[in-house]
Amino acid sequence: MELSFPSELGYEKIAREAVAAFAHRLGCDRERVEDLKTALSEACINAIEHGNRDTPGLRVDVSCIGAGDRLEVEVHDRGLKRYESSGTVASIDLKLRGLAPRRGMGLMMIAQLADEAGFTESADGGNHFRLVVYFRKL
Amino acid sequence: MTSPNNENEPAERIIELRLPSRLGYEKVAMDTASSLARRMGFGGDRVEALRTAIAEAVTNAIEHGNEHDADMRVLVMLTARPDELVVSVADQGRKQLDQQKTTPTPKIEDSFTKRDKGGWGIWLIRELMDEVEFTTAPSGGNQVRMVIHLER
Amino acid sequence: MLEDELSVSTRERDGVAIIDLVGDVTTFAEEKINSAYAQVTGQGAKHVLLNFRQNDYINSAGIAILIGIVTEVNRNSQKLAVSGLSQHFQKIFRMVGLAQYADIYQDEDEAIKGFTTAA
Repeated sequence: MELSFPSELGYEKIAREAVAAFAHRLGCDRERVEDLKTALSEACINAIEHGNRDTPGLRVDVSCIGAGDRLEVEVHDRGLKRYESSGTVASIDLKLRGLAPRRGMGLMMIAQLADEAGFTESADGGNHFRLVVYFRKL
Repeated sequence: MTSPNNENEPAERIIELRLPSRLGYEKVAMDTASSLARRMGFGGDRVEALRTAIAEAVTNAIEHGNEHDADMRVLVMLTARPDELVVSVADQGRKQLDQQKTTPTPKIEDSFTKRDKGGWGIWLIRELMDEVEFTTAPSGGNQVRMVIHLER
Repeated sequence: MLEDELSVSTRERDGVAIIDLVGDVTTFAEEKINSAYAQVTGQGAKHVLLNFRQNDYINSAGIAILIGIVTEVNRNSQKLAVSGLSQHFQKIFRMVGLAQYADIYQDEDEAIKGFTTAA
């Protein structure tokens, strides 16, 4: 399935519903669907805020492929900026002491929730972020 | 620098969904559309009506337009405007919908004998939505355009 | 249109200042959550409970706001707890380290009990 929505914060909520319904169709268990919704939200927000640099009028594309007991989701933006992870994520202690920015947890959360996650090659210059979720078929 | 509010901002937001032509996937369209409609401020009844109408439209596209061909897609486009939601559902098929079938007045007695119970779907769509139009999609397939008005 | 879908309200129960959060906790929640916290702190609250209502959507930007609240709670020598989170979001809160700074309870009643029995 493919989905395209306006690159504006808030619209990732629609993507959540679409992908959750798709995962449910495939027999994905409830806990994994929740994990997927959260990981997807973070990926979409990265696309909106970083990849598309909060530029109004742009769009985010999400594609899903379900095969057996795995669901592959790709989030594409226009690539106005690359936004690779900066390495280790600041701990909450650093954040509480004001030594690290409070935001920037998205990629960490994705890495912990998805079975595979990372950037893939893109021919169009945009960021292509791919996450894969394995699940127990209901 | 002063910039007037909303001067260049489009008044509409578009969400596009492309689904596989397999029964069951109309649920994805239903959940996506109802999620948007609820957030736009449509009340429970209207959201339910939309769910039913879109379910019928997508099911028709899967069964009749695309004839269950797994390689074909159902294209759903949701256009959110300040005072209405426009939903268009198109198939990629080459089987043109008989225009006569788009204004059915099904009688329940007919359904007992007819094999194709499909007339009710289109009738339901017309009953539930504020505006309904059957046309040909840019891609050549059948397209139904449905509108619900947002009452404030 | 889809941005601000959260309502925040405050109340008091058994000496605990409760901040009810109904809806989505995202970047758009910042002002509402910070105001509610400032309000109860201004009223002298020592025990603060963030009472979630099985919210469907809490993202990392929302969590960043909560980390900001924890910073203030530490500074003001208050005690913070959270209740009403779904199993999924309890997992997320633990993942980001919030559980070390705020006790996680299933519901409001459990949280109130927790505040009164803890030293």
